[in-house]
Amino acid sequence: MKDTKEAKTEFEPKILAFCCNWCAYAGADLAGVSRFQMPTNIRVIRVMCSGRVPPELVIRALANGLDGVMILGCHPGECHYSEGNYVTRRRAHVLKRLLEYIGLEPERFQLRWVSASEGARFAAVVKEAAEKITALGPNRLVNGK
Amino acid sequence: MTISSEELQAKIKKLFEEGTIDHFIGYEAGSDSLHTTPCFLKNGEQVSRLVWNPLCPYNLSKYLLDFREGEGRTGILVKGCDARSVVELLKQNQITRDEVFIVGIPCTGQVDPDKLLEVTGASPAEITGIKDEGDAFSVTVKGKTQKIDKQKLLRDKCMVCRYPTPPLYDTLLGEAVDSLPWVTDDYALVKEQESLSSEEKAAHWNNEFSQCIRCYACRNICPVCICKECIFDKKMPRWVTKSTALPENMVYHLIRAFHVAGRCVDCGECERACPMNIPLRSLNKKVEKDVLDLFDYTSGVDVDQPAPLTTYQTSDLEEFL
Repeated sequence: MKDTKEAKTEFEPKILAFCCNWCAYAGADLAGVSRFQMPTNIRVIRVMCSGRVPPELVIRALANGLDGVMILGCHPGECHYSEGNYVTRRRAHVLKRLLEYIGLEPERFQLRWVSASEGARFAAVVKEAAEKITALGPNRLVNGK
Repeated sequence: MTISSEELQAKIKKLFEEGTIDHFIGYEAGSDSLHTTPCFLKNGEQVSRLVWNPLCPYNLSKYLLDFREGEGRTGILVKGCDARSVVELLKQNQITRDEVFIVGIPCTGQVDPDKLLEVTGASPAEITGIKDEGDAFSVTVKGKTQKIDKQKLLRDKCMVCRYPTPPLYDTLLGEAVDSLPWVTDDYALVKEQESLSSEEKAAHWNNEFSQCIRCYACRNICPVCICKECIFDKKMPRWVTKSTALPENMVYHLIRAFHVAGRCVDCGECERACPMNIPLRSLNKKVEKDVLDLFDYTSGVDVDQPAPLTTYQTSDLEEFL
């Protein structure tokens, strides 16, 4: 048992972040230019809207071995396309429950709202996710067990 | 009390004679005494083929898609669950209301042949008759008739059925049934699963998914899986490979559960068709429960209610942040 614990401390999770072009991606950019310290576990994919992220992409990413998936979008009411993030919110609530039902830890799939001016918030959100997922260890859905 | 085959035949014959319907989809006797099979009629002279008994679990509504290009009006026999999938087809503009004549039949439960064989200990050939007696099934085994408690023989889906009477019909055969006495908690199975730890859930589902042979029977039989080009058949991009490795099977079942989210009517056809006995209803029932809790939505009841995942409210639950 001690061996696994040692292995866990060295574990560096891979986390996929779908960032909406108008808010979260700009927020990530601001976090960068503001030189906030962030964990390097995050892989960003820019999408035009958080509503463009179908559940298939999230499920595929987790099955391909990603340890966590985040969808980052504009705050409700601030979507560039008026209603994209509201639809995402509905989907995400259903998807999260479905993933938990088959044994995924709730922390591995997250939806977060980050606006273009919230660089510090982006850094904090990413840091929190990285810490939680590092503590959980590798994604057990693909590794069997 | 449900009606007899003869009453059904007389009614359908009348519909043909009046010119109300041009085709009819119902059930006829199957290859053995424990099964019926779908039956397609083109005129009133063939109605003597039709049967109605507690061995008609099949959801015929998907056949409406094959008849939509045809000429004339199609009559279809629907139980409560089947009628709900007809509502879903209407909602998705797959069929035209005028071209379908819905013959509703209040259903007081369907018999699971496997349970029947287990309870009676008989072989299929020895069972000659099954009748619905209201609170019990009377089963004739080797010439002897015995009454068996319904809950011992019912299909799992019928144990949690909330809509024994079709919510939508043009004509109803027999008297409407409001509720079934044995239905207490629709989601007992889901709640039991939810109470397990993540490790136990993962172990359970990894075991189930790894048995899947990806024959796609669950998709092909599903009355709400109506895409002309299914995501799983696409080559570019290819969402799932042909391998039956665990992650691929998991992706298949999760995506399918999500694709029928808010549309699944729990007709139980996926689980019945599954050759590996994967508890697919458990997944769909979970999504159904969440959609009900989150958005107060029940599928297949109201044609005019928008699908839950295509709409939104600003006041929706916000768990993230």
